Order: sequence, then structure tokens, then C-alpha cells
Amino acid sequence: MKRVLKGRRTISPGPGGRGGFQTRPYRSIGTDGRAAHGRRNQDLAGTARPTSGGKIRADKAARFALVSLWGILTLCLSLFSTPPAHAKLVIDFDRPGLSKMPIAVPDFVTEQSGFLSGSELAAILKNDLYLTGLFSIVDTSSLPVLSSDGSPDFEACSKSGAQAVVTGRFHANSGELVFEGRLYDVALKKMELGKRFTARLQEHRPLVHKFGDRVMEALTGLPGCFSSQIIFVGDSPPKEIFAMDFDGQGLRQLTGTGAINMSPEWAPDGRSILFTSYVNRNPDLWSLDLQSMMLRPISAKPGINASARFSPAGDTVALSLSFNGSPKIFTITPQGQIINRLTNGRGNDISPTWSPDGATIAYVSDQAGTPQIYMIPATGGQPRRLTFGGNYNTDPDWSPRGDRLAFTARVDGRFQICSIRVDGTDFRVLTSKGVNQDPAWSPDGRMIAFSSTRDGRRLIYLMDSRGEIQVPISSISGKAPAWSRHAR
Amino acid sequence: MSSRRLKIASILLIILCALLAGCAQKIVRQPFPHPGARSPYAAAPVAEQEIQAVQASLRPVYFDYDQYTLSPQAQADLQYNSDLLRRVPQIALIAEGHCDERGTGEYNLALGDRRARSSVEFLTALGIDPHRFSVVSYGSELPVDPGHNEAAWSKNRRVYFRVSR
Repeated sequence: MKRVLKGRRTISPGPGGRGGFQTRPYRSIGTDGRAAHGRRNQDLAGTARPTSGGKIRADKAARFALVSLWGILTLCLSLFSTPPAHAKLVIDFDRPGLSKMPIAVPDFVTEQSGFLSGSELAAILKNDLYLTGLFSIVDTSSLPVLSSDGSPDFEACSKSGAQAVVTGRFHANSGELVFEGRLYDVALKKMELGKRFTARLQEHRPLVHKFGDRVMEALTGLPGCFSSQIIFVGDSPPKEIFAMDFDGQGLRQLTGTGAINMSPEWAPDGRSILFTSYVNRNPDLWSLDLQSMMLRPISAKPGINASARFSPAGDTVALSLSFNGSPKIFTITPQGQIINRLTNGRGNDISPTWSPDGATIAYVSDQAGTPQIYMIPATGGQPRRLTFGGNYNTDPDWSPRGDRLAFTARVDGRFQICSIRVDGTDFRVLTSKGVNQDPAWSPDGRMIAFSSTRDGRRLIYLMDSRGEIQVPISSISGKAPAWSRHAR
Repeated sequence: MSSRRLKIASILLIILCALLAGCAQKIVRQPFPHPGARSPYAAAPVAEQEIQAVQASLRPVYFDYDQYTLSPQAQADLQYNSDLLRRVPQIALIAEGHCDERGTGEYNLALGDRRARSSVEFLTALGIDPHRFSVVSYGSELPVDPGHNEAAWSKNRRVYFRVSR
């Protein structure tokens, strides 16, 4: 993969003839800032060229030498700062125009044919990797890439175009499943990851997802989100809260209130959810404990008690309350005690979302006439407006990576999922067909769940953060998805 | 004699000032009681026939897209409602705010809440006791017309006054 360096050194004499020195910082590479090594075309020499203009005084030559030495040192350090010895294949997630990594996932092999099939298990992983939008899954049906002993045939892999190959071997033993999965770098003919998992037979899906999370970590530096869960509201009556695996499997109903329910939200520890329900004929905030399945009222003030969102630490809840007049953003304890009122004024304020460091809350307010997204410190302070384009921007969700927000915007009269950087730049429209609303980021910030009516019914869809792959995942109609931050 | 008159006049003036000071107080927004909360009106029994007659006569008010301001028609309907409510002071009401299906669920909840509050504020300004009202927003969750066109949407952008029993 070609790695782009951006660096420029200019030396210009200031008014006193002083040599100035400016360096543009190199773009951070890799999802955690570690330098990524492309395997071809490391275009180093061509870009870090000093341009000098004007005269440099002789007595400044020493300083110039020192400073350029520093520059070269920085350059060297950033190029050769140690990646983990095994991570030669790295996906530079932040690069625009990233091409998908071809990866082969041949059917998993097993000695005994139990009721689990190797192709079914491999299909789970293939789907996981496909949904991230980072991979193209190489078809291995016509060209087998495994040797007879189940290890990869690297020549065949190369011929198939795969840069990485994943193998799996499993056996079932009196209700227990033992699985060994490996990730190989095709060009280096090297194993990058080898893991062994055991689980009960019926937990084979979570097991493959867990392995997939490790594969993602090896290739991108950040674990995958394949073990996470999504809760949502059923769109046709009953409007109860449902939960499913991130890929749409394992659908189960969580509530049986018999009433209208809205805005489900996971607690960060995954042990409970919050949601707004009309069980008492008022939009009140309730908590459902997922162990005991007991419901508990959290906030039942007059007016609305809605769009509750947990802080990343789980010790505070931001929500919209209107008991005092028009809806405003408040913070409360998870038990329902008011901590602070964050917003005031004439607008209707709703839909708070926390930054991943817990310091800032973005929310919707129509104080300027139409709903727009604002930001405010989580402890209170001056709001700052984020969105200025269009006249309807709602449903913000802050990426767990901290750099962008996803939201619903009315674009050319229709509702689309959009994303924007936290400084208000780089506005992107990610959807185009149907009515698209309610974005929710995956815990690794690589995917967005949302609701769409493009196929007739309103279903929960997934897309990668660039909007390149958009697929329905819910088997029933639904809206308002919330993505768990924890693994199952 | 004139000093006595002066004393009376000044006492009257003081009383008048006190009254004016009372009127000049900032209008305190009344919190709307919870639908289930005990209201002074809950105790008084009202004949079921009367409840049904009032419910059937109360007019819903309708709103333009994305608006919570009261159109002239809405104001006329609220005026009509206030005249009716003045005649049955023992009846309490729930103002239910609604939106059409367009727009996002949470903002619609806020918009419905605001529509209901605007309507109740108008009725209060017309002299109806604010303690007679509670406010519930249903956002876009409870349309009266499930259609996907303006004819349906315009029916759904409403505040409905429900007699609370």
C-alpha cells in the first residue's frame, strides 16, 4: 500500500534576516497513530525536500544545520518508529481513497462433521469483514488456497489476489467447541495471529465474532466490533424494544410494556438499558435491568423525559426534560437525581450525545429558528453552534473515535445520514435512497447503524463510515438503533 | 379636615400601589401538573354525559409543518375552546401534542411538547386557570391518519385536548 507523506520544510529569512523554520506535521498514520508500512512504493525521498529562498547568513548556518538535523531525526523517527514486529499488513483506516484489502477466508476445516459446517462458520467471519467496508472477500471456491493439511498454500493465495488469508480449524467435543484461527500475511508467508477459543456449541457465533475482533486488531490496531449488540424500537406495533447481534442474528424482544417506547440507550457496562416509555401515559424515562428483566422508573417528571444518553464513564446521564417549560438538556445521576441544567433560552433542546472523553455534549436546538446541532461543555457553559448548512439537522451521535459526528439532515427535502468533523468541516452526505434517520456509531467508530425505508419497510441498516456498503440487518421493521459499547 | 383627607388619600394610595405592585409581578410560568397528580378538580364528580359532551365539542388545533406557532385558525379554535371551558370550570384537561411522521423521532417529541405548551399558554392568556392543564407530547408516535401524504400529515400535526377523568 502506498503511504503518503506530507512534509515540507521552508526556510525564509525574517525581517532581521533570521532563518525561520517551519515543518508541516506528518499525517498520523494508522488508527492509533503508529506508522504504517506499505508493502510497496514507500515514496520517501521525493517529498521531504527543503526549499530555501533568499540568503542565509553565514552565522546562521550552524542553527540551520542543527535544525535540519532535528528535522531529519523527526523524519526518521516517524518512519521507523517501531510497529509491532508482527504487523506488517496494516490497514491505514484514515486514508481517503483507501482500497479494500483482498482477504481469503476459506471454509474452516474439521476432522469430525458435527452439525456445524466449516463453510457456515467461515461465512460468519466473511460477513463480519465485508461489513466493515475495508475488505474484498476473495472467492476461494474455484481456486483452493489451502494445502492438504489445512495450512495456506501461499502460491495459490497470491494467484487469487489475496494479501491476507484466514484459516480455521475446529472440533466439537461433547457439546464443547474448540477452534483455532490463524491470520497469515501472504506476501511475507508469515503467520500474524494465532488464537484458540473454546465455547459451548450453541455459542459458535459469538466465538467466530470474537476471533474476527482479533483479526481486525491485528490488521488495523483497533479491535473489531463484531461481538457487540444493537437495541432498537420495533416500528410496527408493538413498539417494544428489541436486541440483536450487530449482524442482525439472535433477535430477541426485551420489553413487554404494551405501550409506546422510544430512544433506547445502552449503559456502558451493558447490564441495563434506558428508554422512554408511555406506560404511565407520559413520556417517562425507564431503566431495564438485563439480568433480572426488572423495570425501574428513573425520571417521571411532567412533560418529556427523553433522549437519555449515558456519559462514557457511565456515571452521568444527559437527557431532555421539559417539566420547567420548554425542553432543555439536563444531566442527572443514573438514579434520576438532577445534577445540572445545561441549556436555557427560548429553544427546544433535545438529543444530547457525549464526546468520547466525556467533556462535551452535542445536542439539537431550534433556538435559531430551525433544529441545528450545538455543542456545550458537559459541566455547563457557552453553547457553540456546529451545523450551519441546511435548515434541519438532528439526531447527532458522536463517533467513539472522537473526530466526527453522524446526524440526520434534510438534504434536498429528504432525510439523509450525514457526518461532519467536530470543527464543523468536511460535511458528507452518506445516504441517498429512501428516508434515512437515527444514526448510531459502532463502538470502534468504523460503522454506522441507522434506519431506512428504501426497501419499503423501515429497517435497521448498517454502513461503513464512508457509506460505501449499506445493508439491511434487522429481520423486523425497526428504528432508533443504539449500539452497545461493550462486547457480549 | 384637609389633613384627614390627606391621610385617607395617602392610605388609599398606598393600597393602590400595593395592588399595582402585585399586578406588576413577573408572570410566573405555572408548572403543568402530572396527569396523575392530584388536582383540585379531580375530587369534584362530573357527570359522564357532560364529559362526553365537552370532549366532543372541544376542537383540536392544527399546525404548519415544523411550526409551533398558532395560526389565525388555531387561535380561533382556541378561543372557542376557552369559551367552552369557562362554562365547565370543574373539568381538567390533558393537552396532547403531535407531529406528522416526517422528521426525526426525538425532535418531533420536543416539537409536540412545544405545540401543546403554546396552545395551553394561549388558553391561559384567555383566562383559563393553568392548573386545569397537563401536557403530554406523543411526537410522531400516534398519528390519527397513517397515510403518507399531505392530507394525512396535516391531520396529524395537532394538539388534542383530552378531558381527564
